[in-house]
Amino acid sequence: MFDDPLLLARLQFAFTAATHYMFVALTLGLAPYILVTQLRATAGGDRGRMTAVRFWGGLYLVNYGMGVLSGLVMELQLAVNWTGLQKMYGYSFGAPLALETMTAFFIESTFLGLWIFGWNRMGRWAHLSCFAVVTATAYLSAWWVLVSNGFLRHPVGFEMVDGVAHLTDPAALLTNPAATMAFGHIVTGTLLVGGAVVIAVSAYHLRRGNDPHRIFARGIRYGTLVMCLVPIPVAAFGGVQFELFGQAPPTSGQTYSASEIEAVEAAGSAVHPAIGPTADALMMGMWALMFFLGPVLLLAWPLGGLDRWRWFLAPLVVLPFAPYLASVGGWVFRETGRQPWTVVHHLTTADAMTPLSPAAAAISFGLFTVAFAVLAGVTYWLLVRYARRGPEDGPLADHRDREPAEAPVPAPTF
Amino acid sequence: MLDVLSTLLLVLFLVGHLVLAGADVGLSMLMPRVARGPAQRRRVVAAIAPYFLASEVWLVALVGILAGLFPALEHHVVAELWPVLVVLTVGLLVRDAGLWLRSRVPDDRWRAVWDGAVVAGGWTLALAWGWVTASLIAGDPAVTPFTVACASTVVSLFALRGAAFGAERLVEDPTAESADVAARDTRWLAGVALAATLVTVVAAVPGPGPVDPSAAAIPTAVMAVALTATLGTSGPMLSRYTSAIAIAVPGVTVAVASGLPVASIPDTTAVLVWSVLTPAIPVMLIGQVWLYRMTRRPSRSPGFFA
Ligand code: HDD
Ligand code: HEM
Ligand code: HEM
Repeated sequence: MFDDPLLLARLQFAFTAATHYMFVALTLGLAPYILVTQLRATAGGDRGRMTAVRFWGGLYLVNYGMGVLSGLVMELQLAVNWTGLQKMYGYSFGAPLALETMTAFFIESTFLGLWIFGWNRMGRWAHLSCFAVVTATAYLSAWWVLVSNGFLRHPVGFEMVDGVAHLTDPAALLTNPAATMAFGHIVTGTLLVGGAVVIAVSAYHLRRGNDPHRIFARGIRYGTLVMCLVPIPVAAFGGVQFELFGQAPPTSGQTYSASEIEAVEAAGSAVHPAIGPTADALMMGMWALMFFLGPVLLLAWPLGGLDRWRWFLAPLVVLPFAPYLASVGGWVFRETGRQPWTVVHHLTTADAMTPLSPAAAAISFGLFTVAFAVLAGVTYWLLVRYARRGPEDGPLADHRDREPAEAPVPAPTF
Repeated sequence: MLDVLSTLLLVLFLVGHLVLAGADVGLSMLMPRVARGPAQRRRVVAAIAPYFLASEVWLVALVGILAGLFPALEHHVVAELWPVLVVLTVGLLVRDAGLWLRSRVPDDRWRAVWDGAVVAGGWTLALAWGWVTASLIAGDPAVTPFTVACASTVVSLFALRGAAFGAERLVEDPTAESADVAARDTRWLAGVALAATLVTVVAAVPGPGPVDPSAAAIPTAVMAVALTATLGTSGPMLSRYTSAIAIAVPGVTVAVASGLPVASIPDTTAVLVWSVLTPAIPVMLIGQVWLYRMTRRPSRSPGFFA
């Protein structure tokens, strides 16, 4: 296996993208909850809710930092390992990614900086509006990325000029069903990720009877509503994507003739035939679990179970595994289903890859995989640690009332 | 028209990143020198923290513009420079991991490790930028007297920019000790940068210098003037501006003197990108200016990063 550069580069992409996506999913899933909590805290001058914002916001930031680090490496990997894709599809696949960096990521990070450093420096409403910008641009970012990714799945709106794809129809690119449906599916899926994390952390503290600001009583109720309401749209946005299966993209035939396409596909995809269906089953299985859990939580609510039944709360601590497994399964299902193409009917995966020597591919695979494993491990450890410590010890906890961290040391000035 | 605008945009993001990141990367490099003991190190990190995200986004946008509007150029740069780009990414990763993680565990050894990562990452980044600049100007990443001299110039410009930034931002320290060290350092760092510039010019004459030497002359002269001004007794006061001018020069030189292949951008892509980008520009600017103004005075109480 280690002597096939193509296989290594693909496995590397799969590992790193899956890791990156796990950070991203929590960013997207937690942001709306923090935003609404901060809105209610600001409108009502509610200190308990503001403590909640600082608590969930601290987890959000720890996760966001690792999202940024893994994203930087993704970008490098795309540029270095997949030059065939850039060369042919820069102007069509690359353009939405370019717009993502400027119109979404640039603004998102700048305003997140304003939010982090603005707690005691700007008015309450200005501070809230910074997080509103952060949330909006995070979703915009997801949308641009999916426009790019959807283009691979269902390439539309271009013509080939001298072996380079030139965009002819930007509207078709932006409304590509492979992007819009995936966006609906992703957004709702990440809400499940966020909801499950909020439920798990809340259950952990409620079980210990530790909830002075009612942060966790509110959290578990929010999560309950998410588990009841969101699975249906998740399945709907997922289900409509099946319509694209087996459908040739409208641009089919521009690069390869129908018989050539058939020959490429007949040669097989080098993906083990069991992987796709297993990933699909994992995704839907986890969906079913959450779909049935929602009503159970709802029934426990009026009976006081959400706050008091310790046996009921205990297993909820591992709930986040469900949406995370479903998300990774979903991506594996989507990306393996596209094989042997990188751009369906236009560019094979083998041609998309940079010609790398087996040694270079093995080194790159080793480095990237280790780096991502470390990033994921450290983030998991920090998130669990902060989640357990609760609001008093969070990384954003309010230190104004405490002693300064260090006493000034007198020393000569020059 | 959109071709010209897009090229300007590319140069703007390159120069913008160098000028803004020069400050926080440079101060990361100088941390062992300007900070003694945990309290001063905390203040240095507190000075860097508000800016590193806001300066890094210029780099990410630069890569995005390359990929979407100049794919042929990106292909050329990646093919020529991929080992340097890997080093650059590693530097970024290590430095950023240091900043994100140092305050996560209240333990001296933990903080020492990640402070070390900030310093090592800062040096790696400056070196990688030096190597990138030198290779692009020379058209080849091979190690020659020219690339070594040019890369050393860029590294010293990063350090100078960091010292200038430290002199300005570390004054909140009750003793202002770190700020004084940084301020004094601007003068000799400017000297080092000036000397390195001269060596670079000399090395450029026989060997593989800039592809277009006449175009490199004016920016280099501007840099020499800025550095000479920083040498004098009012150097520390001026360095805030002169270091910014000086570190912008490598970016401008790459743009004008390296003869990089720039293909004309297909109309539909250019129109799409510019029509989406135009409404976003004011928001991008407001955010950056607001952040830089708001955080002019560092916070005394511990925050997320330090
Ligand atoms: C559904 C959403 C989504 C998906 C599928 C991806 N990303 Fe992502 N990405 C985001 C949503 C996002 C985000 C929410 O906007 C992040 C997470 C944390 C952050 O800073 O922004 C982000 C960060 C982020 C960064 C960090 C930039 C920086 O901080 O300097 C880069 C370079 C990328 N991404 C690149 C990629 C690539 C090459 C992907 C291809 C697989 C990808 N992302 C998939
Ligand atoms: C802009 C976004 C994305 C781009 C450009 C992209 C592109 C690619 C490329 C170039 C490959 C390797 C070649 C191939 O197998 O076709 C790949 C494979 C893969 N990607 Fe994506 N992808 C994106 C999003 C994601 C995300 C977010 C995930 C998250 C889990 C993901 C999961 C995978 C998997 C599992 C594979 C391996 C499939 C296989 O080779 O069998 N992708 N993708
Ligand atoms: C019955 C429920 C579900 C159905 C019918 C469904 C269906 C689908 C389909 C058809 C795809 C696209 C595959 C392709 O384009 O090749 C997909 C992808 C995906 N699914 Fe699901 N899914 C379900 C539940 C879930 C859940 C619960 C999650 C996560 C919380 C999830 C996360 C994903 C992700 C991240 C992708 C990849 C991106 C995309 O194509 O949207 N899915 N799903």
